[in-house]
Amino acid sequence: MAETDFKNPKYYANRELSWILFDRRVLNEARDKSIPLFERLKFLSITASNLDEFFMIRVASLQDMVNAKYDKPDIAGLTPSEQLKQLDAAIHQLVELQYSTYNRSILPQLRQNGLQVIRQHEELTESEAAFADKYFEENVYPVLTPMAVDSSRPFPLIRNKTLNIAALVRKKDEKKEMEFVTVQVPGVLSRIVPLPSEGKSKKIILLEEIIERNIHKLFLNYDIVSAHPYRIMRNADLTIEEDEAADLLKEIEKQLKKRQWGEAIRLEVEAGMDKRLLKILREELHMEESNIYKIDGPLDLTVLMQIYGLEGFERLKSSGHTPQPVPELPAGCNIFDEVRKGDVLLHHPYQTFEPVVDFIRQAARDPEVLAIKQTLYRVSGNSPIIAALALAAENGKQVTVLVELKARFDEEHNIVWAKMLEKAGCHVIYGLVGLKTHCKITLAVRREEDGIRRYVHLGTGNYNDATAKLYTDIGLLTCSEAIGEDATAVFNMLSGYSEPLVWNKLSLAPLWLKDKFLYLIDRERQYALEGRPARIIAKVNSLCDRDVIAALYRASTAGVRIDLIVRGICCLKTGIKGVSENITVRSIVGDFLEHGRIFYFQNNDRAEIYCGSADWMPRNLERRVEILFPVDTPRLKEKLLHILESQLRDNVKASVLQADGSYEKVDRRGKAMFHAQENFCREATEEARNSDSASSTVTRVFIPETHR
Amino acid sequence: MSTKIFAAIDVGSFELTLKIFEFAGKNKMKEIDCVHRRLDLGTDTYFDGKISNEKIDELCRTLNEFSDRMRAYKVNAYKAYGTSAIRETENTTIVQDQIAQHTGLKIEILSNSEQRFLDYKSLASRGENFSRIIEEKTAILDIGGGSIQLSLFDNDTLVSTQNLLLGVLRLQEYLNRFAVRSSQAESLIEEMAMAQLMIYKKLYLKDREIQNLIVMDDYVSACVVKKYGSNAMLETADYAAFREQIRSGSTTQAAMSLGISEEKVPLVFISAVLVERIADLMGARNIWAPGTTLCDGIAYEYAEKEKLLQGEHDFEKDIVACAANISKRYMGSKKRSDTLESITTTIFDSMKKIHGLGKRERLYLRLAAILHDCGKYISMMNIGETSYQIIMATEIIGLSHTERKIVANVVRFNHSRFVYYRQQTDQSRLDRDSYLIVAKLTAILRLASGLDRSHKQKLTGLKATLKDNKLILTVENQEDITLEKGFFEMRGEFFKEVFSVEPVLKQRKIF
Repeated sequence: MAETDFKNPKYYANRELSWILFDRRVLNEARDKSIPLFERLKFLSITASNLDEFFMIRVASLQDMVNAKYDKPDIAGLTPSEQLKQLDAAIHQLVELQYSTYNRSILPQLRQNGLQVIRQHEELTESEAAFADKYFEENVYPVLTPMAVDSSRPFPLIRNKTLNIAALVRKKDEKKEMEFVTVQVPGVLSRIVPLPSEGKSKKIILLEEIIERNIHKLFLNYDIVSAHPYRIMRNADLTIEEDEAADLLKEIEKQLKKRQWGEAIRLEVEAGMDKRLLKILREELHMEESNIYKIDGPLDLTVLMQIYGLEGFERLKSSGHTPQPVPELPAGCNIFDEVRKGDVLLHHPYQTFEPVVDFIRQAARDPEVLAIKQTLYRVSGNSPIIAALALAAENGKQVTVLVELKARFDEEHNIVWAKMLEKAGCHVIYGLVGLKTHCKITLAVRREEDGIRRYVHLGTGNYNDATAKLYTDIGLLTCSEAIGEDATAVFNMLSGYSEPLVWNKLSLAPLWLKDKFLYLIDRERQYALEGRPARIIAKVNSLCDRDVIAALYRASTAGVRIDLIVRGICCLKTGIKGVSENITVRSIVGDFLEHGRIFYFQNNDRAEIYCGSADWMPRNLERRVEILFPVDTPRLKEKLLHILESQLRDNVKASVLQADGSYEKVDRRGKAMFHAQENFCREATEEARNSDSASSTVTRVFIPETHR
Repeated sequence: MSTKIFAAIDVGSFELTLKIFEFAGKNKMKEIDCVHRRLDLGTDTYFDGKISNEKIDELCRTLNEFSDRMRAYKVNAYKAYGTSAIRETENTTIVQDQIAQHTGLKIEILSNSEQRFLDYKSLASRGENFSRIIEEKTAILDIGGGSIQLSLFDNDTLVSTQNLLLGVLRLQEYLNRFAVRSSQAESLIEEMAMAQLMIYKKLYLKDREIQNLIVMDDYVSACVVKKYGSNAMLETADYAAFREQIRSGSTTQAAMSLGISEEKVPLVFISAVLVERIADLMGARNIWAPGTTLCDGIAYEYAEKEKLLQGEHDFEKDIVACAANISKRYMGSKKRSDTLESITTTIFDSMKKIHGLGKRERLYLRLAAILHDCGKYISMMNIGETSYQIIMATEIIGLSHTERKIVANVVRFNHSRFVYYRQQTDQSRLDRDSYLIVAKLTAILRLASGLDRSHKQKLTGLKATLKDNKLILTVENQEDITLEKGFFEMRGEFFKEVFSVEPVLKQRKIF
């Protein structure tokens, strides 16, 4: 029998459509009545901001390809124009569902729970209207910049992602032609305006409604014929997406003249917008009909995040989880001493990120630490890590920081604090030519009694104390010599030196990582063929690398049981006879964003578990610097396996990929509910409590501090 | 804290390397950091004679980074050596000074023989593995940018060592110059190499059977280590399979499969061809490429000097063996050499307080004793000058150029008139310190050769004691030593002049 061609496009799903399914799963959370109402608001807001980003990056990129007449089919055999066509339908459907969720489910329930969102200014009572008008005159009017379009004034540049109000106006007492005017809803003011209310229930109105109501005050000599909000999305990404093939780059360079930078790719308008107004917008912005979204409800649902922030609705939010202390690293301990006792695994956000910050802080102060090196991708504003690194440099330590300026959307932000670090005396490397540095690694070199010892932190998530409260990630603190040597080598390479002869433990992309994965997958296949135990569990954010998927298919046909936990895009199809019968794919979307990458290989019962910064995407494996690290300590391996198994057990937040390409919630008839994220919260709390009570018995003895 | 941190810098022809070592307690040498940066100084030097300004700037930039790193590790000491590219450039001193001004680092220049000796020491840093291998008949092939060095070992000792101008960068430059197609490259490398290698075989190898070939280079070793690990002994067949990987396919494919940069592929290729040819020529069965480099040798030497390491291998023995082999080639008498060596060292040791010289100078003296008459192979009349010329033209592994000059001069003045400091001509000029060493050692060697004038080794069992201003040499035997006594007095004049000590020869006849 001839071997199946595992790379046949029919075995693959298109990544963009798969992404839409992911956003759909987030939307499902917003539709889930078992979730507190305000949490649902948040999920709905997330689907909107996700979609914005998707448009700016992915849709824009496809548009570029079409403009450049680049028609190489994707992994699933679709050309860019075919993809756009399918996406178009899918996105319209998604948006419709977003707004029906908002209008039919969320709005009424908000009202029931004491929050009334005024949909149209016409619904205001007299006194409320008076308040709104006063608010307009005092707060809004001064910051508005109305713009008119006529023969001497061309159509203005409407800024990307801003909310605007377009209006048709006609000079008073004249029967002349109508003119087009537009005004931006100012971003400096809060988009929700609370109205004075009596009793318990609150009322709010959106800023654009107040402006719309008062727009005549901006054009005093004119009559307002009609006024409606609109919003545009531009292809603003000036860089070619790293995900795309190099030959695309060439194509686009050739066609550069044809490419219109910053062209509008989406127009959202209020449903029922005056046809004449819409026509002007469409023509001026060169929009195609398919890219116009007529929306029944407020444009830009990210405003819901602001509503989420309103005070007084705590009962409608989930109580949240406080990241728990890590038993191995109690507050105030000397991290170096503790890590010397054994490797420590951190599971965020169930466990606190504080030890990682402390690790860098202590290293900055410790007189025996000679050097600190770290890669930074995205950091929080006012990051304590940046402060610690700067302090270390001031303390005379050699501090090397690789700052990835190419981190999408964070470029400007990153430049600011990178300059700050440089000023403090750190050696700052601004990324590598042609590669994004995505790995998360910190190295502290310490001079100890018995010689130099290297402490390393390796993680799956960014060094960002803010997102560490929301993203689920794994971190490893170790002073293993083998990993220490590798870590030094990693930083040497990042500083532009040659690669070392041998790597002990770490696998690096773009050097070896893909080969390593293919090797590990194939090894399971060999074992399966020999009739030995063979199993793969992998948890990633996205799976769209053709070679990896083909390897998984091949392993599956050999009998390897493969369970994948893929949060977002998944181009692999399950349930294909003779190809992927042994593969399951599930996606967990919950309060915390699943972010850690964990890989388990049964390896004939000598299990190997790895964690890393890389997804199974071509960009991670080929165009980024990524690190995959093994976790060797049996105790920690068990912990990781427990994490994977818990997620496979989840029947509350997990959706399973079906053979038809859709995702269905796990059928839990006859089974007890199991919510993995909640369970992790509980476990972390218990673990912390147990160690607390254990240590409190010890600390009944006072320990006098002696001078150091 | 007893740990010591040491930095070794190698300014090579093709690459700059910094290695940081940690010595935590006795015999604990550990590499803790290593960085390389590619910088092709060799092409400038070998073909333009000078290193360009741009390259010097880049060199200084990288050295500054190195020095930052050394500061971060708080190194206790460092050694920075320049090899052939710096040594052979026309403006060595200027380059050295520029580096010192811009980076504060003092770059010392290694002569070929010193460099090879350090390379060879780097092997010894591998301890047991090395000692085990050289018990069998072994050759070390040390491939550099400008030249290669072939050293033969038998039974734990060095037999011969020879430098051939077949360095990788040199061959590469020829290939570039002749615009060779890649399909021709291999046969051309072979032709260029074999011409010299056949002569080598005739002169040095003869019918010697070599079991093991140890390969040291910055090119192919790295790939071998990557693939097989640093302790792997490859059988020649394995090596051939490895070689095939580089031969077949494009440069890009080779770079991919070896995991190196494309620009390095041609160099690895040349090095690999050389290794294969030489292994073939010698009939070696095993190839060991441990991937050690000059920096390891530098650190090993530092550790030896600081007594941080107790090496198993006796390197002095190698130097002496090397000299003995030179002497043998020029029909020197082993018996006479042995006698002289024993007399000179006896005198040297008893005079420690007076001459104030150390272990290293003692080694010069031994070498001079061994090589004292090599010139007679050319002329019986003018032994001093001819010996000097031979020694200066022959490499003695482990000796710097200056050291070789000292030994050559001691041998020379043993036979011909001593030239005083101010009388020196430009050609063989010695600095003040070296001059004094030469004077002292010459005095001892002259006295000693007087004692063995008859070449009959009558004075075995010589004892020396220093008493007041007299050096009393006592022999216990019944030989007639009239001749020796006569020459002794004659030759003693210079000794007296140098040390203000009068040598006295006493014979105690035992009945």
